[in-house]
Amino acid sequence: MVSNELVVGALLALNAVLYASLAFLALRLRRRKFAPSSLSEAFGDLELALKESVPGLPSGFTWEEAVARLRSSGVRTEGMEGALRGYEAYRYGGAPLPDLDCRGVADVANALGGTTGGKRGGGASIGR
Amino acid sequence: MGADIRDRVVAEVGKVVVGREKETDLILTCLLARGHVLLEGVPGVSKTLVANAFSRCLGLQFRRVQFTPDILPLDIIGGFIFNLKDREFEFRRGPVFTNVLLADEINRAPPKVQSALLESMQEFQVTVEGRTEKLPSPFMVIATQNPMEFEGVYPLLEGQLDRFMVKVSFGYPTPEVEAGILKRNLSSMDLSDVRTVVTAAELDSMVREVDSVTVSDEVLAYLARMAEATRKESSLVLGASPRAMVQLLHCARARALLDARKYVTPHDVKTIASEVLTHRLTVDRAAALKGVSRNPEAILTAILDRVEPPR
Repeated sequence: MVSNELVVGALLALNAVLYASLAFLALRLRRRKFAPSSLSEAFGDLELALKESVPGLPSGFTWEEAVARLRSSGVRTEGMEGALRGYEAYRYGGAPLPDLDCRGVADVANALGGTTGGKRGGGASIGR
Repeated sequence: MGADIRDRVVAEVGKVVVGREKETDLILTCLLARGHVLLEGVPGVSKTLVANAFSRCLGLQFRRVQFTPDILPLDIIGGFIFNLKDREFEFRRGPVFTNVLLADEINRAPPKVQSALLESMQEFQVTVEGRTEKLPSPFMVIATQNPMEFEGVYPLLEGQLDRFMVKVSFGYPTPEVEAGILKRNLSSMDLSDVRTVVTAAELDSMVREVDSVTVSDEVLAYLARMAEATRKESSLVLGASPRAMVQLLHCARARALLDARKYVTPHDVKTIASEVLTHRLTVDRAAALKGVSRNPEAILTAILDRVEPPR
């Protein structure tokens, strides 16, 4: 015979595991990290994050203006600046898409729009 | 090579002029794009000094003409003079036959004289009584005007303004820069201290290299959208002309080259658009009365913020 205490204990443990998993899942959904597979995709994600997370950023912004705005707001952009140069050479100069690490770009996008709930973009807020 | 040349020129001009790095950079950009510059500012803000120091550090021949109400076209472009010794007319070249012509206070001269400069600015040549003479290469007109003068001046017409690739505004210096100017004037630094830091071959090569800077179709489409937006803007009666957009394109190419790139980015276009376009826009006075900004620069900034560049 299994004692009632043991059953209650087991149920409590099961509940704890269940709720912990749900909380973890919810947290993961909230974070919705950008994980781009190419530089092109990474800059697409960053553009989306910028549009949604930077209030007052005009629709006619250029990459350099966005980087300057981020830098003045304390967001670390060093990791993406080299990638931006390569991406621009590909985008406007007809160079082949460089095989550069796009983590730096994804990190900035995640810092902007990766910590939001429900919709992407309500997280880190960058002022004017 | 572009960024290096820019650094050298800006540093050398900075030996005698404090706090005019951006203006020097713009004049260099314009020279590489084969354009002409209009410097606008009140007297005493170093317009002439910048122009002179700029020519010196590029090793270019420099001539200054003070425009006055009684000046004649002959005084600028030259003309036929009777040679008593040879008993025939001979062409005497005017001061326009130089590399850099400083047309000081251009709006003080009557329209006839202002127009005399137009052919030389557009065609890089002068025609007098059927005789055509090519101007030296490179050739650039740097004109100055004081925006605060209204009496005894002949404001440049839209068509004349359109001939200037960029308008550079010389504002008053900041207190920090002013302190630097005062400090600089304690020492005996003068124009003769400005050395030639760019060789004729380097300059010639840079001017030719501008033509090899590529512009993607998307950037061209961005320029076209920008032009359309200025023409549709309700607070403007005159938007950017096709010539203005062509000049903006050339300027953006020169800017890319000075940044050591062989392609133009939307940022190149956007950062120089104000200097290239503002003086060609005409604000609608009726719109201005309704409280819309009368400042073409503010209107253009709003337009640029709306037009989405390719990313």
